[in-house]
Amino acid sequence: MTSADLLLQQVINGLSLGAMYSLLALGFTLVYGIAELINFAHFNVFMVGAMVAMLTLQSFGLVGQETVLTGLPLIGTLGAAFAVAMLVCGGIGVGIERLLLRPLRGVAGPAPMITTIGVSYVLFNVVLLALGSDAKNFPNPLPPIAWRIGGAVLRLREVLIWIIALALMVGLTYFVQRTRMGKAMRATAQDPEAARMMGVEVDRVVMTTFFLSSALAGACGMIFGLYYNLAKVDIGFAAGLRAFTAAVLGGIGNVPGAMLGGVVIGLIEAVSGQTVGTAWADVIIFGLLVLVLIVRPAGLMGRLAPNKS
Amino acid sequence: MVSTALAYVSRPLAGLTPERRRALGLLALGLGLLVFPLVYDDDATIDSIANAMSYATLALGLNVVVGFAGLLDLGYAAFFAIGAYYYGILSSFQVMPLWSEAWAPLAFLGLVEKMNQGGPDLVHFTLSFWLALPTAALVSAAFGVCFGAPTLRLRGDYLAIVTLGFGEIVPIVARNMDGVTNGAAGLNGIQAPRLFGQSFGVDSVPYYYVGLGLVALLIFVSVRLRDSRVGRAWMAIREDETAANAMGVNPVRFKLLAFAIGAAFAGMTGVFFVAKLQTATPEMFNFNVSSMLLVMVVLGGMGSVWGVVVGAVLLQLMQTWFLPQLTGWLHDLGEAVGSPALLRIDLVQWTQLFFGLILIGMMLYRRNGLIPATRKTPPLTFAAQHAEVTRGGFLNLDRIPRWEPGEGALDIRGVSVRFGGLVALDDIDISVPAGGVVAVIGPNGSGKSTLFNVITGLVPAYSGSITFRGQELVGLPAHQVLARGVARTFQNIRLFPNLTVLENVMVGRHARLRSGAVASVLHTPGNRAEEQAAQTSVLDLIAMFGNRLAPRVGQVVSGLSYANRRRVEIARALASRPHILLLDEPTAGMNPAETLELAEQIKSLHEMGLTILIIEHKLDVVTALADTVVVLDHGVKIAEGRPEEVRRNEQVLTAYLGRAARAAVMEADRVA
Repeated sequence: MTSADLLLQQVINGLSLGAMYSLLALGFTLVYGIAELINFAHFNVFMVGAMVAMLTLQSFGLVGQETVLTGLPLIGTLGAAFAVAMLVCGGIGVGIERLLLRPLRGVAGPAPMITTIGVSYVLFNVVLLALGSDAKNFPNPLPPIAWRIGGAVLRLREVLIWIIALALMVGLTYFVQRTRMGKAMRATAQDPEAARMMGVEVDRVVMTTFFLSSALAGACGMIFGLYYNLAKVDIGFAAGLRAFTAAVLGGIGNVPGAMLGGVVIGLIEAVSGQTVGTAWADVIIFGLLVLVLIVRPAGLMGRLAPNKS
Repeated sequence: MVSTALAYVSRPLAGLTPERRRALGLLALGLGLLVFPLVYDDDATIDSIANAMSYATLALGLNVVVGFAGLLDLGYAAFFAIGAYYYGILSSFQVMPLWSEAWAPLAFLGLVEKMNQGGPDLVHFTLSFWLALPTAALVSAAFGVCFGAPTLRLRGDYLAIVTLGFGEIVPIVARNMDGVTNGAAGLNGIQAPRLFGQSFGVDSVPYYYVGLGLVALLIFVSVRLRDSRVGRAWMAIREDETAANAMGVNPVRFKLLAFAIGAAFAGMTGVFFVAKLQTATPEMFNFNVSSMLLVMVVLGGMGSVWGVVVGAVLLQLMQTWFLPQLTGWLHDLGEAVGSPALLRIDLVQWTQLFFGLILIGMMLYRRNGLIPATRKTPPLTFAAQHAEVTRGGFLNLDRIPRWEPGEGALDIRGVSVRFGGLVALDDIDISVPAGGVVAVIGPNGSGKSTLFNVITGLVPAYSGSITFRGQELVGLPAHQVLARGVARTFQNIRLFPNLTVLENVMVGRHARLRSGAVASVLHTPGNRAEEQAAQTSVLDLIAMFGNRLAPRVGQVVSGLSYANRRRVEIARALASRPHILLLDEPTAGMNPAETLELAEQIKSLHEMGLTILIIEHKLDVVTALADTVVVLDHGVKIAEGRPEEVRRNEQVLTAYLGRAARAAVMEADRVA
């Protein structure tokens, strides 16, 4: 492989990672934009999404990478796994909001954040106790199709991941920009009090936001499994921290910003993994987070969160 | 039943004052802990208690950061690791540079040894445990400052995620820097502490006593800090950072101080912990430790010194005794009913699940913890509540600084403020003469509060200059504006809700006091005199409002009536010994009688020499108090003059009442 091929390969890898981080970053950004809360539960809702997707695929009789499907059965199984993961995670998100966070709305200080940390812990340990801490073989029914571009390899799964991530992002953008609920969400993000006075049902907006953000995390869990062929109870932390960095990089509260930030972080991870070793990728990305917060806390594309005095 | 029993037992103690009783209880507890290892000779238990003590010290440190200063630190274990590796590396055989004569002075001090294992001479670090304890505190504090300086300017929620990352990075670094830390395998052969030539070895009892000493020391330090100028500043920042800043507290500086002190506690504990285990691995400092400490603090009560100690003990008890016991009982039950499912359960593995549940449960049902930091003060008696209102005197208020004749005043020249495209203030000129009372009036949204914010440094000026007694205020942070003698109140009352009346007003005195952390912990004579004097004069100020506030000084302000909260805010501003007082709608929400009372009090303050700039809607108050009235509309000054002149000004009438109404008023005037 020439160095140009190597770079191209890293770009391909980076875009796939980036697609994943973008979806996860969207969840942070949506919740932050509406509720001004860093949702630490998001880390492990994502992990639960991966596990649920895995169990769903296994329930279709798929094991590891041996079973290969094509055509309608392939689309059907993958679609079902995505749908189940997104619905279960969305449901968890709604539950967290409705049962645990709504009673704390308006409480000053770190109480809501501490609650989400607690939820994250509970999710992690429930999965740990139920499924164990070993790395699990994530069923992947995709046919092993790959294309050569120079010396680099582009696999079907990467193309699929890009398409799905793109579709979800386009769908979300449409939802936020074009629908009635989307308009209510944008109004709430600007000024919850004014939105309430104009007849926006803020409770429903917040709940929808948690549903969307958690459902995206579920989809992201499925993508993680398809990409790495594995699921593990501790995948949430590293991916979550990267995705949060992506959200901050793009400007927290800013939907297109989160997408851009995710891709940038994915590319940085792929390239730095190649050059300085994966062990230090966390250090580099964390360093980037601190740097962005210090130099440009509004992120690349500016913050669209409420401007409260 | 329990309470009756308690009452019976404590009957001989009932004659003592509460302070005496508390001191007696502490003494008994201390003695009990001191003799415990002598009477109870079980090494495993002693060891477990010593571990609990190290968690208690960590929780005390985290409490300074989270509980006092309100900074959610999710990577606190990183500082624990720094202290641990500091001592581990400097007292083991891990790092052995080549010997050169440059090391000789250190060898003379006993910090290193020349060593030969065949081959060239090497340096062996032999840092003493007793020296490591204080120096680790300093090293960790230095790390805390380096890490905090860039990040503590961020909003609190960003800080949480940054500290989370930091907590994750430190173990990664420890794992990957094999040469220095021996990587994942961990440091080995760390020296046990020695005292009078005796090594502590592996016996738990000496560690128990060192741990007890550490806990006692850190409780002492925590309590002293909490009840000092430093502690009040932390809690003010926690309650309302903007208001704290406007009352003279430098938020970044005090947050850094909290971070550094918290880190110092953790660093000391790190030394103690690895000396006891004689090994250090990266896993000992991962996120689970940070979150366990957070659970301890939340369980005990954020900001409550004794609470977090109890939280640490309870959690340690849960892990080492309760869960294994409960598992045993479940297994017994499983055998009895023949359920293999019950036999498989090992609740110790559920520990972290319980941590999560504790966090959620406490936030939902008992946010202030098992032992809340804010103690309940007894409510006033019926008689006291319904006592006839008395006006206070101004006997001791001659402390308000008087203007020297001819001194400069507040001069606002060409000041504009913009928020994005919106011009909130446009080229404003106002001057407040020394000893004058200037009122600012104008319809809602005309920029009155923005004017106060730009004077006090809470919003930046886009252009123009504001000088006060000849000094430029534009560009100064809020706490320095206050230090120059400009104090304010807020339109929407920004007190520190969970602090008492006295504490709130004492925060106002912050900028005029000097005591730092060290003096506060040591209670130096200077510190004691300063606190005493401050308290006396602050109580004088509160007495200005007669029996409205004086009987309530020990109450938390969130329980006060609206009018009383306004009074506390004015007292808080006066406590900073201002030359000029900026009052933002001081009588809003008061009934006519209260308004009249407050107007008279403001007038008296003015007569005693205070210069006043007041925003007020009630025109009778304005007329009674002000020499000059300035009218703002849409960020522009539309009129200025004596109250009765301004009342007749056409533009003012238009701004307030609209064109038609203005015409009507003018017409009525003509007829009259």
